[in-house]
Amino acid sequence: MKTPVEVTVNKKKYKVEVDTRMILADMLREELRLTGTHIGCGTGNCGACTVVLNGETVKSCCIIAADANGQEITTIEGLSSSATELHPIQQAFVENQGLQCGYCTPGMVLSTLQLLKDNPNPTEDEIRHGISGNLCRCTGYQFIVQSIQDAAKRLSNGGQPGASQ
Amino acid sequence: MKYIGKEIVGLPTRQLVAGKGQYVSDVILDGMLHMAIVRSPYAHARIKSIDTKPAEAVPGVVYVITGKEVIENMRPIMEAYDTAAMDAKSVKCYALCPERVRYVGEAVAAVVAEDKYTARLAADLVEVDYEELPVVFDAEEAMKPGAPLVEPDWDSNVMVTRDFIRGDLDKAFAEADGTFSGTINTQRYTGAAIEPRGYVATYDPYQDMLTMWASTQNPHPMRVFLAETLGIPETSIRVIQPHVGGGFGLKIPTFQEEPLIAYLARKLARPIKWIEERQENLLVGGHARQNRLHYDVAYKKDGSVIGFRAKVIADVGAPAALCGWGQSFVTSYCIPTCYKIPNCRVQLFTVVTNKCPWNAYRGYGKEAASFLMDRVMDGVAKATGVDRAEVRLKNFIQPEEFPYSQVSGAMIDSGNYPKALNRVLEMVGYKDFPKLQADARKQGRCIGLGIGQELTPEGCSMPKSTLLSGYDGCTVRVNPSGQVTVLTGVTSPGSGNETGIAQIVADTLGVDVKLIRVIQGDTDTCPYGLGNYSSRSIIMGGAAAQVAGTDIREKMFKVAAKMLEVAPADIDSEDGKIYVKGAPSRYVLFKDVASTVYRDCYGKFASDVEPGLEATRYFRHPNVYHQPEVDGRFSSYPSWPNGVSACVVEVDPETGIVKLLRYCAVHDAGVLINPLLAQANLHGGIIQGLGGAMFENLVYDEAGQLKTASFLDYTIPTAVDCPSLEVEHQETRSPFNPLGCKGVGESGVTAPLGAICSAVENALGHLKLNFDEMPLTPDRVWQEIRHAQQQA
Ligand code: FES
Ligand code: FES
Repeated sequence: MKTPVEVTVNKKKYKVEVDTRMILADMLREELRLTGTHIGCGTGNCGACTVVLNGETVKSCCIIAADANGQEITTIEGLSSSATELHPIQQAFVENQGLQCGYCTPGMVLSTLQLLKDNPNPTEDEIRHGISGNLCRCTGYQFIVQSIQDAAKRLSNGGQPGASQ
Repeated sequence: MKYIGKEIVGLPTRQLVAGKGQYVSDVILDGMLHMAIVRSPYAHARIKSIDTKPAEAVPGVVYVITGKEVIENMRPIMEAYDTAAMDAKSVKCYALCPERVRYVGEAVAAVVAEDKYTARLAADLVEVDYEELPVVFDAEEAMKPGAPLVEPDWDSNVMVTRDFIRGDLDKAFAEADGTFSGTINTQRYTGAAIEPRGYVATYDPYQDMLTMWASTQNPHPMRVFLAETLGIPETSIRVIQPHVGGGFGLKIPTFQEEPLIAYLARKLARPIKWIEERQENLLVGGHARQNRLHYDVAYKKDGSVIGFRAKVIADVGAPAALCGWGQSFVTSYCIPTCYKIPNCRVQLFTVVTNKCPWNAYRGYGKEAASFLMDRVMDGVAKATGVDRAEVRLKNFIQPEEFPYSQVSGAMIDSGNYPKALNRVLEMVGYKDFPKLQADARKQGRCIGLGIGQELTPEGCSMPKSTLLSGYDGCTVRVNPSGQVTVLTGVTSPGSGNETGIAQIVADTLGVDVKLIRVIQGDTDTCPYGLGNYSSRSIIMGGAAAQVAGTDIREKMFKVAAKMLEVAPADIDSEDGKIYVKGAPSRYVLFKDVASTVYRDCYGKFASDVEPGLEATRYFRHPNVYHQPEVDGRFSSYPSWPNGVSACVVEVDPETGIVKLLRYCAVHDAGVLINPLLAQANLHGGIIQGLGGAMFENLVYDEAGQLKTASFLDYTIPTAVDCPSLEVEHQETRSPFNPLGCKGVGESGVTAPLGAICSAVENALGHLKLNFDEMPLTPDRVWQEIRHAQQQA
């Protein structure tokens, strides 16, 4: 059975018909072709499918697509305006090698966005807790933590690398 | 500008961080169908009948296939690790199991439907009638006479044995000051990359061309396996490896789903997709590591080990076409790792059981060998009262003794184990630790320090093997405008070898690394190569790139020499300029030389070189021996990186919870091409090792059901479980590799096992704990503590 869904994703309005069994992650990936949202478990444990729904991060594998009707979503594709203009968090991940295979990365970056919104100056411990819902099997998290520390500095410095005030 | 040794961020990083990577699940084709697998719910059963009608009746279902059609139309899956070459028993495994399932999850039927929900739903409606058969789960039980046979055609459940002996064991044990024995059980666990496996296959009947996008580590070998299994030409198959979301060995072919989806795409002539669910990944995506290691040690009072017997009993699960069982061989091959033990015997029994087959997993058996030796060295320290570090230093192969041949014939290339150990002890503050420990104890805290040693041979090169034969190829093409295309036979599942290879080519040609584009993972464009396994991509692929680059460099020097009116031997290149040695202001631009070769091949500078600037070269490693009749030995690993870790833990004796406070490591893989990416690999390896030491466990119940088939039950480390790692590198060149480098990809994963066990025992030294069962979950630690307290 199909049902109509209207959503705003990365500030753009979409109108689609989806299978009632479809999860939000699949709708983003297959209907809207925003494949930056990844699926690593489908059970809410890995965080690869993290997106921002009405201003809060959620695991999009645990939400039925139809329930997103009328909501506002930001995915990893909504973070940077172009290939040359990455979001400061993304730029920090690049420069600190905060990824290897990159599969967990979109979720990790969006969890960082939320973390730094809630706590612009986190300690290492707070960072580790902030991303504890996102599994990474490649990096051992060390360069991710460094990336987030760097991202925090960049955000408090108008997006530029440098010391926080 | 030199790039080798420079920290350069991985080339695909920007694309991936933007969410613009392309993984196999991102391949979405018009008219694409979806496959779902029907799997055995039993650990051992005969298939009496299969009724596909209820599934076929579901609207949207396109096709249902069972093992009957598979055996009529396909060959058994070609083995990834040739059993005959290793004197091991073999089985015929098919893309779908035709008559007898041997572990829970083995594929028996598949449904293809218009969408994945329908495919899954219909797969659940396929009715399979089974007759249950007796099962065997424990390797040593399986070895007993009269045990149920996993393969009724075999005379026992032992798949392969080895027996390596050196010296006089009886004499050593008779002359020893003391002896002790023990048994270690390591648990079953796996790599669990965050991206599960997946394949998309499509077929063009007009070109007779099957295209397969695969989350794999080995596109070319996969093409061979598919061709052999399907009975079609290799040239009618193209395997494309898109971005891979982590491999760790588990994405090495030959899984059932690979030939299955390829066959169905050809038959239905429509694109088909299959993406593994996490539950399937943990159930059938390849397991590893379950070993029982019996040992006897003969030592002298001063801590030197003079005799050692090890019996490795590996529970490799059901036999399959996968290469995982070979890990057991490597465990036996590596013992006694970095130690010089004059009298040594290592026996291997590779045993099949009714569990998921092993596939390769980072460490590939080396971890078990190193872990065993750590337990042995700690045991000798306890028995003699000699310090743990001292015992290791006393027994190490010394730096001047390389190349050193171990009891198995393994030829260890180089190393400086004492230097690395001394350095890590310094980093962790070994000397002052007893005081720290005593102070903590006064505050009621139990902290302990542990040492873990690792030796991880890389670049596996086996005889008569499609996948593992140990060479690789590379094409270097300088384009007319001076930019460089590099096509490799090795691939990267996220580990960054493409970046290292670009650095090697940049240095070889003397150009900016930004001018280099590396292309990997496409059987139609890349030179034939074996892909990614055994941390080989730089040692084999990087060396091949250097050889190919050197060919081009020499050719361009010849032309440049004419342009500069000097001899080729008198010129060099750097920063895009080819210049006269000693007179750098006399130069021609690299791109002008390229242009001359392409645009003026009859002119006065380039007429005596062949047109074009492209070379494909292959590299084979000098430190491999496959002809015992010629060189007196068999040695399949050319490169021997090593490392040592020291960690500090805090144990809560009330709960058994172990907290890792510090983790220091010194790692030696010879010359590092890109220290940043080597460091990144180390971090990942160490944390996977930590997961294996402390949480990860694939647990079966008595019926052979996997109880840990989700990330809820199979817990891998989160950021909170990990300390900030302190890692240093030491450089002992490999004398056999032209770049001086060794493999890095599996470094770090081994030492945590020994180090953490040792540290927990040290933290509770008064209880005289001895961990011989992994992992050290709070539950196990708590029980050991209770047990020791009751004994006291
Ligand atoms: S895919 Fe949603 S949490 Fe893993
Ligand atoms: S970078 Fe591979 S899972 Fe995080």
